[in-house]
Amino acid sequence: MSYRTGTDIPEDMRRKLSLSEKLYNISAVRKIFLLIFLALGWQFYSASLDNPLMFPSLTDTLDGLVEVVRNGELPQRTMTSLRIIVIAYAGGVILAGLLTVFAITTRPGTDLLEILTSMFNPLPAIALLPLALLWFGLGYPSIIFVIVHAVSWPVALNIHAGFMGVSNTLRMVGRNYELTGLAFVFRILVPAAFPHVLTGLKVGWAFAWRTLIAAELVFGVSSGSGGLGWFIYEKKNQLDINLVFAGLLTVIVIGILVEGVVFKFIEERTVVRWGMKF
Amino acid sequence: MKKRKSPASGGFNRKSGRAAADSGIALAEGEPFLEVRQLTLQYKTARYLITATRDVSFDVRESDRLILLGPSGCGKSTILKAIGGFLKPAGGSITLNGSRIEKPGADRAIVFQEFDQLLPWKSALENIVFAIRQTRKLDRAEAVEEARGLLQKVNLGKFGDTYPHALSGGMKQRVAIARCLALKSKIILMDEPFASLDALTRQKMQEELLELWSETKFTLVFVTHSIDEAITLGSRIIVLSPHPGRVVDEFSVDWTRTGTRHRLQSADLKERITRILFKDMDYVI
Repeated sequence: MSYRTGTDIPEDMRRKLSLSEKLYNISAVRKIFLLIFLALGWQFYSASLDNPLMFPSLTDTLDGLVEVVRNGELPQRTMTSLRIIVIAYAGGVILAGLLTVFAITTRPGTDLLEILTSMFNPLPAIALLPLALLWFGLGYPSIIFVIVHAVSWPVALNIHAGFMGVSNTLRMVGRNYELTGLAFVFRILVPAAFPHVLTGLKVGWAFAWRTLIAAELVFGVSSGSGGLGWFIYEKKNQLDINLVFAGLLTVIVIGILVEGVVFKFIEERTVVRWGMKF
Repeated sequence: MKKRKSPASGGFNRKSGRAAADSGIALAEGEPFLEVRQLTLQYKTARYLITATRDVSFDVRESDRLILLGPSGCGKSTILKAIGGFLKPAGGSITLNGSRIEKPGADRAIVFQEFDQLLPWKSALENIVFAIRQTRKLDRAEAVEEARGLLQKVNLGKFGDTYPHALSGGMKQRVAIARCLALKSKIILMDEPFASLDALTRQKMQEELLELWSETKFTLVFVTHSIDEAITLGSRIIVLSPHPGRVVDEFSVDWTRTGTRHRLQSADLKERITRILFKDMDYVI
């Protein structure tokens, strides 16, 4: 059926949308417009304030950004952060997946997951950093530990909620095809619960990114090889405030890229195409 | 309550015999291959153990179009779930080709009432391909080819790439039926598949289902609460009473063999079934 495209509607009953109407329908275009507006606001405010140490202008920030990108400092710090987060995020998601699969296959598993998520989900991951430093020392393992903690619970909570919400009809269809165990989980439950799975992955990512930057602010792993958070902290100490802003901008841009490009891409190809977006 | 006659032990009762004679059609011969014996089904709610059916017995022969007809609460859907293997009998037995039904299996394909029975993450074609590939040993190319043929059969040849959410209710049920045929199972179970459709679509679907049946003569157990639907589709009708579900009567009707539906006979049969179903009720029709 082409309810959505309208191609089956007679010519005289439809009109093509004008270019401006089409552009207005693209959320990216609308958002870029707003971003330009915000950037102008920044520039004018900082110009009127005229205190580059407290609030550098957009142009100063961009100049600094170009400089640290050119000399390779920022890309290197960014790579450090991204490497850590990819490892920790993957670990957290895998742990959440294992917990959830265990939870849906056994009754005690369900109870365990419910207890663990209700205990640990409200606990900010960064609160575990002192303990992590004690256990794992000053280094990557500590940061990875707190990020895994930040990711696992929201992801597990969402996947589990998704699995529980899979309609009985779909479950019966799966069992009718004699699917059992992991095949049932991965061929029926995971795709059927995919909107929830995706929400969990998104929330997990957001938590992970925040936790990473926060954890890095506390310590740089070793001088010169810290991540983005450490970059921001270092530049503040050196009173390169425009670079602090540049670092913050980088954190924001990466956050937006992952949310708006990576997850959007997955969403368009899955839940939107399947009509399962909520 | 009239004494229940067991169709299994005593063959067909007087009424069913007459219905068969009226339509001038001999009964389908053949060994019963699905046998439901003294079936008692129970399920638990949060507070009670409910008896859905008690001592229900009937046979299904090859190429039967058996209708389980009754008001809500007669346990007809529960019986179908038990045949599907989703519910263990509290008493009695269900055997398919002599072996007891213990768990769900692809030898009993099911069409549900709910539109969400299609896998929303797969296109119409892929839904059928998935069914084929999960249950039979076919490579992908063969499965796709067979799925295309089945979609043609249910008049959805052009909609293979469409995802379920973009299909109308009737189309979704057509895909579900095609998917069911794809399993090539011994028996097809349908749980009020047309109940959520509008009247015109439902009528069309009923006709199409009969056409499909006349092509492959699959064995069908069809649950409905509509007397008209039962008479249109059934070759045999089991009438169930509610609370708990019991077999109160059984009819043989086969309009399709003569090629025409006899309005008068159909009206007569409808009146008789109506009388049976409403006999025990207090209100006036």
